Amino acid sequence: MPYLGSEETVKELKRALSNPNVQSDRLRYRNVILRVIRFMTQGLDMAPLFMEMVKASATVDIVQKKLVYLFMCSYATLKPDLALLAINTLLKDCADPNPMVRGLALRNMCNLRMPGISEYIQQPILSGLRDKASYVRRAAVLGCAKMQNLQPDAEIDGAVVNELYGLLRDQDPVVMVNCLRALEEILKKEGGVVINKPIAHHLLNRMKDLDVWGQSEVLTFLLRYRPRCHSELFDILNLLDNFLGSSHSGVVAATTRLFLSLGAALPAVQSGALERARGPLLAACTAQSRELRFVALCHVQQVLRSLPGHFGAHYKKFFCSYSEPNYIKFRKMEILVELVNDENVGTVLEELRGYCTDVSPELAQAAIFAIGRIGQTYSEKCLSILTGLLELKQEQITSAVVQTFRDLVWLCPQCSESVCASIAGCEEHIQDSEGKQALVWLLGVHGEQIPGAPYVLEEFIDALKTEQSPAVKLELLTATVRLFLSRPAETQDMLGRLLTFCIEEECDMSVRDRALFCYRLLQCGVEEAHRVLGGPKSDPSLGVIAGRPEEPINSWAGDFNTLAPVYSREDWAALTATTGGSPSLIPQATAGAAQADPGSAEEAEAASSAAAAAAAPSPPGPGEELCLLSGPPLSPELFERHWLALEPSRRVSLGWPGGDCLPETLQAALQLVNIQALALSRPHARPWKAYLYAHSLGTVVLAELLRDTDAGGLQVTVKQDPEREEALSSFLTVLKTVMQTLGNSSSSLSSHV
Amino acid sequence: MIGGLFIYNHKGEVLISRVYRDDIGRNAVDAFRVNVIHARQQVRSPVTNIARTSFFHVKRSNIWLAAVTKQNVNAAMVFEFLYKMCDVMTAYFGKISEENIKNNFVLIYELLDEILDFGYPQNSETGALKTFITQQGIKSQTKEEQSQITSQVTGQIGWRREGIKYRRNELFLDVLESVNLLMSPQGSQVLSAHVSGRVVMKSYLSGMPECKFGMNDKIVIDKQGKGTADETSKSSGKQSIAIDDCTFHQCVRLSKFDSERSISFIPPDGEYELMRYRTTKDIILPFRVIPLVREVGRTKLEVKVVIKSNFKPSLLAQKIEVRIPTPLNTSGVQVICMKGKAKYKASENAIVWKIKRMAGMKESQISAEIELLPTNDKKKWARPPISMNFEVPFAPSGLKVRYLKVFEPKLNYSDHDVIKWVRYIGRSGIYETRCTCTPLYEILLCWDQAASSMDSPVLGSGCILLYEILLCWDQAASFMDSPVLGSGCILLYEILLEVPPKPTAPRFSV
Repeated sequence: MPYLGSEETVKELKRALSNPNVQSDRLRYRNVILRVIRFMTQGLDMAPLFMEMVKASATVDIVQKKLVYLFMCSYATLKPDLALLAINTLLKDCADPNPMVRGLALRNMCNLRMPGISEYIQQPILSGLRDKASYVRRAAVLGCAKMQNLQPDAEIDGAVVNELYGLLRDQDPVVMVNCLRALEEILKKEGGVVINKPIAHHLLNRMKDLDVWGQSEVLTFLLRYRPRCHSELFDILNLLDNFLGSSHSGVVAATTRLFLSLGAALPAVQSGALERARGPLLAACTAQSRELRFVALCHVQQVLRSLPGHFGAHYKKFFCSYSEPNYIKFRKMEILVELVNDENVGTVLEELRGYCTDVSPELAQAAIFAIGRIGQTYSEKCLSILTGLLELKQEQITSAVVQTFRDLVWLCPQCSESVCASIAGCEEHIQDSEGKQALVWLLGVHGEQIPGAPYVLEEFIDALKTEQSPAVKLELLTATVRLFLSRPAETQDMLGRLLTFCIEEECDMSVRDRALFCYRLLQCGVEEAHRVLGGPKSDPSLGVIAGRPEEPINSWAGDFNTLAPVYSREDWAALTATTGGSPSLIPQATAGAAQADPGSAEEAEAASSAAAAAAAPSPPGPGEELCLLSGPPLSPELFERHWLALEPSRRVSLGWPGGDCLPETLQAALQLVNIQALALSRPHARPWKAYLYAHSLGTVVLAELLRDTDAGGLQVTVKQDPEREEALSSFLTVLKTVMQTLGNSSSSLSSHV
Repeated sequence: MIGGLFIYNHKGEVLISRVYRDDIGRNAVDAFRVNVIHARQQVRSPVTNIARTSFFHVKRSNIWLAAVTKQNVNAAMVFEFLYKMCDVMTAYFGKISEENIKNNFVLIYELLDEILDFGYPQNSETGALKTFITQQGIKSQTKEEQSQITSQVTGQIGWRREGIKYRRNELFLDVLESVNLLMSPQGSQVLSAHVSGRVVMKSYLSGMPECKFGMNDKIVIDKQGKGTADETSKSSGKQSIAIDDCTFHQCVRLSKFDSERSISFIPPDGEYELMRYRTTKDIILPFRVIPLVREVGRTKLEVKVVIKSNFKPSLLAQKIEVRIPTPLNTSGVQVICMKGKAKYKASENAIVWKIKRMAGMKESQISAEIELLPTNDKKKWARPPISMNFEVPFAPSGLKVRYLKVFEPKLNYSDHDVIKWVRYIGRSGIYETRCTCTPLYEILLCWDQAASSMDSPVLGSGCILLYEILLCWDQAASFMDSPVLGSGCILLYEILLEVPPKPTAPRFSV
């Protein structure tokens, strides 16, 4: 409607606006202007009325003025020549005795986006900066930023910048914050506003006068400031401590971020700050408004990346409520998986099972996958739940469960028996290709344990003509050949049919190629085919490597309270791509500074004493002394590649430090002597494994710790690239010392108890 | 900073659009409509990234509010801002609806102009904004008013203007709480419960009064208890509550709260929220819902829901509404309830049971027979939880206002001259009880049947007694005079929960 017939309306309004009778009646005049604005909002082009509207700006009626200003700001870019006519009125208003009129005029004049306006607004802005009413000063300060924005290439006016730095001492808090904002924009090319010691202290002292928006922005600006000494740092922390208890979640998050950044080199400060922020963060997770809840959950996830146990005691807070939107439920499930431990595993699984039958198929699938992830550690309980779900005989559920089974079997070989027992009959309820692929894979790899495997595959082969997805066909080919190798008598006939069909009738090239490949492979003989296709059926060590290592807090502290945790990684990458490496507000945390992950005081103490002991018994000659360096970190992929490529240099057996030695303690202790732990199993997992690496004398030492049974000691396998004997032996010495000291401290601890 | 702010109706038509920064183009308005409002699937996330621009949206009834930005802003602040914007609009013209927005769009533009400048929040306190918003004002201001603006805007206290005078100094204090509960299907285990409360104050006080607010906060009471005799701390220990976390209006002096835990402030004029708090311990759950669901064959479902009020008999709960979800393939429902009115609403797939009033320590019951259409759809019914709404005249967290003192040294009125009103309202937040067929229920059913089919009246009445006990086992356990009987109840209950009975043949050998 609005786009059609707008000409008539414009004409009519034009007539009404220029009618002297209307002009003389204030109310009628205003009503006509109201209509103009209303049409403008609806998307009609009201630009032809510009002339009449400019005339209407010459009035004493503030409401009318505001309306006209709104109109002018919207259309000034289209009619720059006419807009200049309005400037006289605006300039006159800038000198009005009423501060509100002055502020209004100044603000709107700066809002007119058109070339050449800057020469008119310069003078009013400068006088506005010295106005006695703070309302005008607020507008003037931001006006400086707008002016700079209009002509980004213009040189920065030093006088204005100085004036703005001076106005940081203004008694009105909003003027002060606006100054920071304006300086930040004006000095964007030079790296933004400079926060030196006097400014930082001034800002800190004014914090309590600010409104919440100001507080959270000032806290962000303070990220730039680096305190000179520890006492100053702690003064700042104490001063800002109150703001962690603010009612405004934005302020809480900004304070936490500042604390994390200030404590970049002090792990104790960081963990203390997160400890203090836990309450408010949890409160935000149960807030009334769902959007805030969502944002808080995203941040909880971020904290969990470094401190997996941080919210362990509060896992019930992350149970989903029925009425919550899916985006919150997804996040909560992801968090629940992270929080599972020996005590709560039963309750969490029970809860997740409830979600598996949710009406939304995506949610149900996500819940099943979540159970699967927990199953990598607590396989028995999860298997019984998943098997129970199969009995519901629903398509998406069965499909998701089978996919979970496939991943579980690959990671935990001990599950394979019960999985094989339970998947019989599933094929009737699987319709989607993902589920089919998983089922076919299971049938192929574990076919000898599933009595009906050939018959199920036969059904798939018979239905091949109607099968749409090439991925399923590919999987079917491999699986059938595999099954043929283990149960040739039952499979031979159908394999022949499958290969004939795929080679002669199939249109998809990749499927045909795979079929030809299988055919030729079989021609080479059974032995050869077995060697190619009969690879390992599971890889439990992958679970350890795939298990995400704990990241140091500093790796995400800079992104806390920005959009990064809220977006998925792809979205975030897309967003940062344009901004050209978003102008990060804080300098990159120095590499290697305080990577240690502090646990409780007790653990830290144990760790440090272990490190001290490791350093103490070093040989007297400084030349021989081993210096393990905190070199560049290895990514898990790189580590894996190295590990597979190298031959073991040495195998040693060490004593286990003590019954209740926690992985965190071990990790912290190792980090103190610059041995990095890439991945560690959960505390009571058997076999328990850990992968370590260290840089020393130009070589990289890789090590695997393995503990099979509770009674047995620790098997250490060390690999090295390039070979260097002394580095190797000293690495082992350091490792041994750490283990011994840990054993001593943990036994002394237990004797204390 | 915020680049632009848009308001849409449910169809995606733009009601208000205001762009603050040049980097937000005109097509941003349409991008959000196409990608989010008109999107087929459910909303994926409240923050959407379209063409490297971030859209933050909030929905109020069927109105969408969206803030747009290209910068890397902090999400919590943008959402808080949108909520604030909603609050301000509600304060000016009531409920946020399409009608109201269309009628007040000039006012909204005016508000947007004052609240944000160049995308930066400037002034968002409703009270302080009133000076600048001139919706009604045609007359140009007098000298006096002009000076008032100046003094207010430059004054130290941003939230209160000077020179306020009232003939009657009055104070209204509302403690508004919402109880959130998630109960396990067994009806015994609280999965999660918390109270989020607000203390809202309406002050009509002259001058610049200094107020001091006290409540039965455990830390304060314990501190005082130490000073006096032990006995008082013991007796008051029961009444005090532990507040998990609380947050205050800007006017409260936080430093004083941290050191002495006293809440002192100069209040803004008019209505505002003094504090917000949350408790999780010792919550009085005003109602307990005991659902019993039984599937009788494939096409019939028997539902019995008992609600029990759990507060002082002299108090009255109001506006009670229990919503019992029914399966999607329901064909008919027969409802019998002792109290209130119950109706099956096919459009909402629920039986809605409304009771106007209910006194404390009462119980009421509804039973329904749900006829189902036979379907070959194997999909199981998701069994949404039974939800409940109510309003009670006390604070479920146990919070009590102990005092509110007003000091105004300059004007001649004292604390006694101020008329103070205190009111407690407890409302239900998300108050849900999950329901599934439970072992306990099977037992109850067995007993129910057993009682009616038993030949021996003694055995029959024994069954009925047990049935009654189980229904209120927790109360029975606590009210039993004899500790032996009380613990017996609990024991029995636990045993029954542990051992699932065979549903077919009731096995009794009492």
